[in-house]
Amino acid sequence: METVSFVRRLGSFLALAAIQVLILNRIELFGYVTPLFYIWMIARYDNSMSRTAQLLWAFFLGLLIDTFGGTPGLNAATATLLAMMQPSLFKLFMTIDRHDVVVPGIATMGGSQFAGYLLLVTVVHHTAYYILRSIPLGDWTVVIFKILFSSVFTFILMLIAESFTTNTSRKR
Amino acid sequence: MRSLLDFIIRHSYVFLFIVLETLSLLLLFGFNDRQNEAFLMSANNVSGTVYKWRSGVGQYFGLRRENERLAQENASLRSFLYELTDSICLETERAMSSDGVMAARVIENSVRKDDNYMTIDKGRRDGIAQGMGVFNSEGVIGVVMVTGNRYSVVMPVLNGRTSISCKKLGTDNFGFLEWGGGDPYKAQVKDMPYHSDISVGDTIVTTGFSSVFPENIPVGRVSEVERMKNGYTLRVEVDLAVDMTDLGWVYVNTLTRDPEIDGLYKQTDM
Repeated sequence: METVSFVRRLGSFLALAAIQVLILNRIELFGYVTPLFYIWMIARYDNSMSRTAQLLWAFFLGLLIDTFGGTPGLNAATATLLAMMQPSLFKLFMTIDRHDVVVPGIATMGGSQFAGYLLLVTVVHHTAYYILRSIPLGDWTVVIFKILFSSVFTFILMLIAESFTTNTSRKR
Repeated sequence: MRSLLDFIIRHSYVFLFIVLETLSLLLLFGFNDRQNEAFLMSANNVSGTVYKWRSGVGQYFGLRRENERLAQENASLRSFLYELTDSICLETERAMSSDGVMAARVIENSVRKDDNYMTIDKGRRDGIAQGMGVFNSEGVIGVVMVTGNRYSVVMPVLNGRTSISCKKLGTDNFGFLEWGGGDPYKAQVKDMPYHSDISVGDTIVTTGFSSVFPENIPVGRVSEVERMKNGYTLRVEVDLAVDMTDLGWVYVNTLTRDPEIDGLYKQTDM
């Protein structure tokens, strides 16, 4: 059980890193806006994962993307931060009083709850990301513009990904 | 004591978090430029192969246009050759000589960041060294910044730290090409003396002072001339000759600079 979930997680780890590095890093809408879809992995952390594992997976995912993107430490720092905050963000939208394993998703949380959760996850991460990336902060409006537009972009991609996962699980 | 130990074990992830964050932030801010470049470089040894594979796929789709460009270049070189047989011009011959130029493929490129970098598939093994100029048939692209064994990182014109000496074609008043971010099709020439006779539409070329580039490689076309506040220099807005967003093959100027010039610069601390 444990090894199966590890292998699956490694699979999605590599897939998300590849999508981010090979495709999404190339997209630069309006000259600045790049979707950071890889945080999908962190957004989908279930409540059975140990905090240590959550942090390590996120750190190495960020580091891998940094290695390819030429941004040492930037994604590693923000992904780790998001992984640290994810359980609390999840709890904001979902009261877990069961001992079940709950994966954040429309099926478990309901549409609007899940959308709110995803939006918060995205904004938290992207705010940290663009502030760190833009230090020393010159023009605030540009940074805020980047945060907003990238967040919307990432959010939409995650909703699409969610619709795919719910479809496939229904088929099963 | 025991409860303290329990507390530490239960919250060990907090310490892990602090360690990981410190590590990342050290990576992000702790490195000076030199080490940052080393990181970029080691990253290239890891990722060079992946990027090469991807750009191989990408370039397959650009082959048609690339062929056209090569054919055009062939044509212009051929006509140049005919001219040469008529009049022997040593300086231009040096500029066009093929044994000082190596072709390389761009396997990774960015144009939208504040500091862009580019990776080419030739490295130390192929005789590429730091400080060599990179250009293509259209004009100046950048300068080799770090070399790995098989790959090199190029600092293109579209980088805040770029400074390439250039002049108006046919004159000797020179300035430095810089890039202030934003538009990947434009750059600025600074420190041009205000008495230089420059107007919109003039062609800006390299000076060949430092032998990073041969002389008279096109840089771009003047689109705007503005007198600086200090009154002594001009700021010239240039439409770059090269479309930096669309690069396939490039040339690296491997003519090593004269050791005597280097020695002189060293003496004057330049």
